[in-house]
Amino acid sequence: MAYLATHDYLEDKNFVDKWLYTMRTGEMDLSWMNAKTEKIAPRPQNARRGLTYRDLDVGSYGFTDVPEKVRENRSYAPRGAEIPEGVPDAQPWVSRKSELWAFNTESYYEEAVSRQWNATTDIPWDRLEGVEMPEATGKALSQLMTFLTEVEMIATDTPAMWLPRLNPDFIEVKAFIASQAMDEARHAEVFRKRALTTGWGLMAASPMNEMALKHLRDADSFSEMSVALHLVAEGNVLTMFRFSEFLSPTDVDKKIFRLVMQDEARHVGYGMQHFKYVLEHFPEKREVLHAHLDEAENISFAGAAATEVTESFIILAGGGMKKENIDEGIKITTQFNLKQMYEHFERLEKCGMPERKDPNRSKLYNMFLMGKAAAEAQGIKI
Amino acid sequence: MAFYAYKDYTEDQEVLEAMNQVMAGNLGLHWFNANTEKIKGHASDPSRGLTYDDLNIGSYGYTNLPEHLRTSQSMVARGSDKSGKLPDMGYVVNRKSDVWSDNVSELYEETKARRWAPATDIPWAALGEKPVNDTLEVACAQLYTFLQECELVSLDFPSRWVALVNQDFIEQKSFMCGQMLDASRLLEVFRKRTLYGGAGMKRANVNAEQGLKEWLWAETYPQGSLSINLALGGMLLAIFRHVAAFAPSVTDRAIMRKAMQDSGRWVSYGTGCLSYHLEHQPGQRVALHEYLDESEHVMLGIIGSAEFLEPLIIISGGGLEKDQVKAGRVAVSKLIKLMMREYFERLDYAGLGGRTERSRLPHVIERIQVV
Repeated sequence: MAYLATHDYLEDKNFVDKWLYTMRTGEMDLSWMNAKTEKIAPRPQNARRGLTYRDLDVGSYGFTDVPEKVRENRSYAPRGAEIPEGVPDAQPWVSRKSELWAFNTESYYEEAVSRQWNATTDIPWDRLEGVEMPEATGKALSQLMTFLTEVEMIATDTPAMWLPRLNPDFIEVKAFIASQAMDEARHAEVFRKRALTTGWGLMAASPMNEMALKHLRDADSFSEMSVALHLVAEGNVLTMFRFSEFLSPTDVDKKIFRLVMQDEARHVGYGMQHFKYVLEHFPEKREVLHAHLDEAENISFAGAAATEVTESFIILAGGGMKKENIDEGIKITTQFNLKQMYEHFERLEKCGMPERKDPNRSKLYNMFLMGKAAAEAQGIKI
Repeated sequence: MAFYAYKDYTEDQEVLEAMNQVMAGNLGLHWFNANTEKIKGHASDPSRGLTYDDLNIGSYGYTNLPEHLRTSQSMVARGSDKSGKLPDMGYVVNRKSDVWSDNVSELYEETKARRWAPATDIPWAALGEKPVNDTLEVACAQLYTFLQECELVSLDFPSRWVALVNQDFIEQKSFMCGQMLDASRLLEVFRKRTLYGGAGMKRANVNAEQGLKEWLWAETYPQGSLSINLALGGMLLAIFRHVAAFAPSVTDRAIMRKAMQDSGRWVSYGTGCLSYHLEHQPGQRVALHEYLDESEHVMLGIIGSAEFLEPLIIISGGGLEKDQVKAGRVAVSKLIKLMMREYFERLDYAGLGGRTERSRLPHVIERIQVV
């Protein structure tokens, strides 16, 4: 794994002598002053928003003009710099714009930076003092939080491990991915903290979900990873957060879900825009993405079938474990499951893949149609 | 590379039946009596909020983490009830003393508390209203181009490792995610500063990049952390402090102050990580000495490169006039000596003493003369 620089600088007499000579005499090379690069002077388009990446989208420095295939820069040189002979190869795996680009990436990143929040101080933890939840809902909440902590850990590792594989010319995407890793770390933190303040501690791990979630990480390409993580998994989680806010037993929980939702919506937004971009600019990839979606939808279904999560959701939704609570909980959970699937296929359609709304193409869509019909027969509508 | 779940859930009768039973109201509730510790965490100081330290309790805490993690290879949250078939995530960093630092939890909390936004927290307009002269601006553009290269490598380092670090080290992994955001923000602010000044990007630094790649691609996490967090972080901290003192504009000074606070955390973690590593794996002292014998030359590759040294001399002296260059050389000479002293002091503090005698660096540094 180790890389060795082309010189051992301490043994390079010419290098050492030149450096000491510059220090001693003040005679400098200064050829860098005449680097052949563009001179621009960007200014904020909107003073209130400050100086954004979009303001820097000018000429050779901008993201608009980054070519579909980046051939010139494979080093750590910032986009637009003069690149001399001898810079190392950073070994990027992804140097094709349509494999990672999304309209609005730069704004998603700016928003992520400006909306960083703090799970330690922005949640009114003190309001939990004296709050004693009944055993059923307390344990159900802890179980949900335990599951969400597992989910957020994979959501941290997955984008992070792709980051060094992205060509440094795609700085806005790399920046967005870095912000996402931090978002997910904060989510894992806030869910862990909430579980450990219920009085019940963490509960049981979810093996079926973990097996399914591993699929997110080990994708063959960034686009496939993105469609599984940003679109399918985070799309599902976004719907889950929205329902969880609604079901939250305390104001503290509502606040938690509101804050995580704002981050998650950004990740889903990036995922949708990237999916649209890759379908438009790399049409040959469509069938590959269909194949990956087949598996991603399989794991999406596994999520709904993991009983430790579904059962805790039912108890929270119904507010307890009496029969009437469970009946009400099942009704809400059915709505939630159907809504999750409905929104997933809506997103795909908006991004330019309406053909998955076909029971012969997608097993999950088939399950959705069957579930919807069964629910409607019981008077449950989404 | 792709991983496929071990069954097609949509066609698995057992899964479908279990799901149907639940939705019919027949809850199995196997999780209800999870065999876990029951605790209710509280903020020890409500004004600071609920920190990770407040949850350092029993089986959930980090104090009781064993040195070797042999039974947790999945994404299970530390302290949860583990049962059933869990996936192996392929972690390769499973020893606490390879990644841990006693201050890592506090540093993560600080990362979040000291968040800032380059777009709005830097007084960009001040530079527009009072631009620095052309020579200084070109020098700034070159220095900031170099700093972007450093931050790209700094961004890649935690990203390369985080997914390989065992999930049980959640506080440390969270800190690494904070580092990603730190580096991305510094990369952003340096790029914005370079372009805002009007001189455009300058030249990439071959020697620095060669060296930085050697550090980034270190074989083990302790080696990489020593190079990136302690050595590079320490160099950058010294450079940021220096440039803040000689900053040609209030904008540059504001940037450097923010950069200092972020890089200070990297150095603090890097020093703590090395200290913990050597305390628990004293046998690694010899290996790390040998690693540094081989890799310390990178520091010279960076500070000796014209694309770093020359603009720094110009900024430190205030221009290209003879007297200014001399003043700049004097200042940069002091910076380099200070940087080296701090580096060796940190190693010594962390338990890797004797480097000043063993290292090849001091012999070269002591030859610096300013006529």
